[in-house]
Amino acid sequence: MYKSYHKKLVASTLLASVVFLGTACNASNDTKKVAKSEVKAVAVKMDTTGFDKRVVDAVGPANALVSDTVKKTYGYNGKLVIDGGVTYPIVNGKTGAYYVDPEAHTTAFNKGKTATANEQKAWDIDVMPDGTGLPEGSGSVEEGDDLYEEKCQQCHGDFGAGNGLYPKLTMGNAYEEQKTLKNQRTHPDDDGPKRAFGSYWPYASTLWWYIKTGMPHQAPMSLTTDEVYALSAYIMSINELTIDGEELDDEYVLDRKKFLKLVMPNVDGFEPKINGPKGEDNAREYFNNPLNYGNGVRCMKDCFEGAPVVQKIKHAISDFTPSLNSAKTLPKVKADVKPAGPGKADYEAACAVCHATDAMGAPAVGNKKAWAATLKKGIDKVYDNAINGVNGMPPRGGSSYDDAKMKQVIDYMVGASK
Amino acid sequence: MNKIDNVSEKELEIISEVTEQASRRDFFKKTAAYSMSALAAASVVAPVSVNANEHIEANAEDDPNIMEEKPWSLKFGDDVTVNKYGQPSPYEHNVTRRTTPILSSGNFRASIAVTPIQDLNGIIVPNGLFFNRHHGGTPTINPNEHRLMIHGLVEKPIVLTMEQLKRYPNVSRIHFLECPANGGPEWRGPQFNSIQFAKGFMSCAEWTGVYIKDILKDLGLKPEARWMLAEGIDDSHMGRTIPVDKVLDDAMIVWGQNGEALRPEQGYPIRVVVPGWEANLCVKWLARLEFASEPFYAKEETSKYTALKYTGKAIQHFYANEVNSVITSPCPEKPWTDLKKGDMIEIEGLAWSGMGTISTVDVSLDGGKNWKQASLKGLVLEKAWTRFSIMHEYTGAPLLLSSRASDDAGHIQPTVKNERAAVGIEGVYHRNGIHTWAVDAKGVVTNVQILS
Repeated sequence: MYKSYHKKLVASTLLASVVFLGTACNASNDTKKVAKSEVKAVAVKMDTTGFDKRVVDAVGPANALVSDTVKKTYGYNGKLVIDGGVTYPIVNGKTGAYYVDPEAHTTAFNKGKTATANEQKAWDIDVMPDGTGLPEGSGSVEEGDDLYEEKCQQCHGDFGAGNGLYPKLTMGNAYEEQKTLKNQRTHPDDDGPKRAFGSYWPYASTLWWYIKTGMPHQAPMSLTTDEVYALSAYIMSINELTIDGEELDDEYVLDRKKFLKLVMPNVDGFEPKINGPKGEDNAREYFNNPLNYGNGVRCMKDCFEGAPVVQKIKHAISDFTPSLNSAKTLPKVKADVKPAGPGKADYEAACAVCHATDAMGAPAVGNKKAWAATLKKGIDKVYDNAINGVNGMPPRGGSSYDDAKMKQVIDYMVGASK
Repeated sequence: MNKIDNVSEKELEIISEVTEQASRRDFFKKTAAYSMSALAAASVVAPVSVNANEHIEANAEDDPNIMEEKPWSLKFGDDVTVNKYGQPSPYEHNVTRRTTPILSSGNFRASIAVTPIQDLNGIIVPNGLFFNRHHGGTPTINPNEHRLMIHGLVEKPIVLTMEQLKRYPNVSRIHFLECPANGGPEWRGPQFNSIQFAKGFMSCAEWTGVYIKDILKDLGLKPEARWMLAEGIDDSHMGRTIPVDKVLDDAMIVWGQNGEALRPEQGYPIRVVVPGWEANLCVKWLARLEFASEPFYAKEETSKYTALKYTGKAIQHFYANEVNSVITSPCPEKPWTDLKKGDMIEIEGLAWSGMGTISTVDVSLDGGKNWKQASLKGLVLEKAWTRFSIMHEYTGAPLLLSSRASDDAGHIQPTVKNERAAVGIEGVYHRNGIHTWAVDAKGVVTNVQILS
C-alpha cells in the first residue's frame, strides 16, 4: 500500500501542478470554470436485500456526487469513501475551501529517531483478540474475588452489580442476557437491552487490556499480570461465562491459553464485519448504504397528514452544575479561602474518586447538607466509620492510610463542606 | 498621577525579580490581586453624577443609563499589565461549560462538560468553553518529556519530540468535534429543557497540526497495514482504532487550537483530529500510533461507542457524525419572551455534517409539515459548523420550530419517526433526527420531539 500510495500521491501532485499552472496562465477562464462547477447529486439505487420494509420506506435515497472538487472515492485507491461521505482532493491548489502548498505534502522530512525495541516494548500495552500483547500468567477466581473486594468493589459494587453511576460489570448470566439485546423500551415498564461485559462485548481481550491499563481508576497500570488474570477470571465467573464448556468456580485458574479459548456470546453481534482482509471494504459498503443507519427525505410541503404528534418532556433532567443562568451579573466575591489542610492531597489520591460527587451515594465534599447529616453521628463516629468501613465504603476507603492520616483526611473533608 | 507611579513601581518590581520562578509567583499573586480589585471597583454602586450633562434636566422617559455618568467613564480603567492572559468580562461569568451527574460514569473524572452554544456567535468556540469529555481526568503533561511513537506495520518505527513534530509543515483546518452521544439521552423522548445539554456535546475550532499521511511518507507503511491504533498517555490510556483509509485522507495530529496551544482539556500537548468523525476517535494526550492488519477492539469501541439497533446487532466503527442541525435562537435558554406581535426576528441556527459540507438547511414553523429553505450564513466549510438564518415576523401564535440540514454527500436529516424506524431507540449514539423547539404564546421555548 505504501508504494501505490506514494505513486498515486506523486501522480496527483503532477496533475495538481499542471492544473495550477493552467490556472496561472489562463486565470479568467479557470475562475469561471471553478465558479460554474456545481455539485450534482444523482440518486443511487440502494441494495435493499435483507432489510425490513419499514426501514426501506423510512430511509431516503443516498446520492452520488458529480463534481470537480468533491469526490465519493479516494484518489489513492479509487475506492468509495469509507464513512459514506465525501473527500476533497487537491484541485487548482485547493482542498475544499483551503489553499495548500502541494510541495508540503510530497516532500519527505525524516524527523525524529528510530524507536528502539525496548521503547516499543515499554509502550506497546494493547491486547488484541488473537492474543497479540497478552502475556503469559495466571490467576484464580478466588484470588480475583479477594482483589475485587479490596480494589474494585467500592466503585463497581458487590459482585459487580454496579454502584451509583459506576458501571455494572455483570447483569446476570451472559448467555441469557445476550438475548435481551433486541429489547426496545417503547413503554416505560419495558426491560431494556442488558449491555454488560458478558452479554455485550465481542472479545475478552478488551477486558484484560482495560483492567491492565485503566484500572483501578485512580491507580492505573498498578496491577501485576497475574492479578489481571485473577480479576478477569472473577469477572468472567460473575458473568457466568464458560470456557470449553467449563464453569469458572472458585478454584478455576485462568491462564493465557484458557483465556484465548473463551468465546463471548455476542461475538457476532456487531456490524459491519471489520476483521480480515475485507474489513475496510465491509465498512465501506455498510456506511455507503444509509439503510443501515437512516437518512431523510427533503419534502417541502404537506409532509405528513393531520396535526403534528408532539412528544413533550416527561422526566426532565435539570441537576446541572452550575445551574443554568443567562444573567449578566457580577460573580459573588468569595471570602478569603483558607489554605487547604494537610489532608487534601491524600483525599485527592484515594477518596475523591467516590466523594467528589453525590452520584456515588457517598457524601460529596462541599455538600453542606449531606455532611451536616453525617456529622450528626458525632465526629468520632465519622472517624470510626472511615477507618473501619460503612455501607458501600470499604475500610479506609480502600487506601492504606494509617489512623492519623485518615483523621487528617476527614478533617479536610469536613472543613471543605462547611 | 500617583496611581500610574505606583503601578510602574510594581511593574519594575516584577521586571527586576532575579529568578524566573520568583517572578512568576509574584506575577500570579499580583494578577489575582488586581482581578479582585477590579471586581470590587465594578460592584461599587454608581454615584449619581451629572457632570457634563448638568444643564440637562432628565425627564421620566429619558434612560438614566444615558442621563447619568457611569463610574467606569469617570476614572482610569485597568492598565495593560492587569490581565497578562485576557479573561472575559466578569459580567459573562455565567457563560460556562456545565455538567450533570447522569453524564458521568460515577465521578467527574470520567465525565463530560458541555458547551453553552446558546451564548456563542459564529462558528468558532472559545478555547475555555470547548466541549470536554475525558475518561480519567485532565492530566498536566510536561511537553519537554512527552513523546510520540509511531510503530507497528511501518518500515521505520520512530519517536518524535514535540519540537520535532512541529517541524513538519503544518495545516490549519476548521472542524467541529462532536461526541457521538450528542443528543443521545433523548432517543426515547426529550429530557433536557436546554440547548446546552440537548445539543452541546460538541464544539468547533481551528486546529493546527500535521496530516498523519505527511509523516507516513517517511516511514514506509507496509501493504498489510489496514488499521491504526491511536492511544493517549493519561490515566485512562484511551485507545481507538482508525482505518488507514482515513489516515491517508485527512486525519491530523494537532497542537494548535484557535491560534494557541491546545488546552489541557483538549489534549495538550497533542491530540488526533479525525475530521467529521466521532470526537472519541480524536484521542487526546496522544503518545502512540500503531499500525496493524487487524482492528484492535479497544475498550471505547466495544463497551461504548457502539450503537445497538432494534435487530439486536450493534453498529461498530460508526465513524462519521451524520448531517445534523439545531436552531440556536430561539432556544430554551434564549426564549422570545421579550417579543411583541409584529416584531421582525431572526431565527438562527447551526448545521454540521461529518460526511461533507452543508448544502441546504430548511426551517419549519409547524413541526415539519411544511418547510422553507433558510439562508446559509458566513463561511461554509467541510466538516465544520455552518450558520443558517431565516427572518420571521413574530405573531404570538404558538410554533413548532424545526430545522433540517443536508450535505454534499447526499445525506439529509431524518425525522425522529424515520430514524427510530431505521435503528430503534436504544442506540445511544449517532442520533441526528430533526430537532424541534415548541414556542408557546408567551414566547417560552421548550424541547419537544415530533413523532409524525
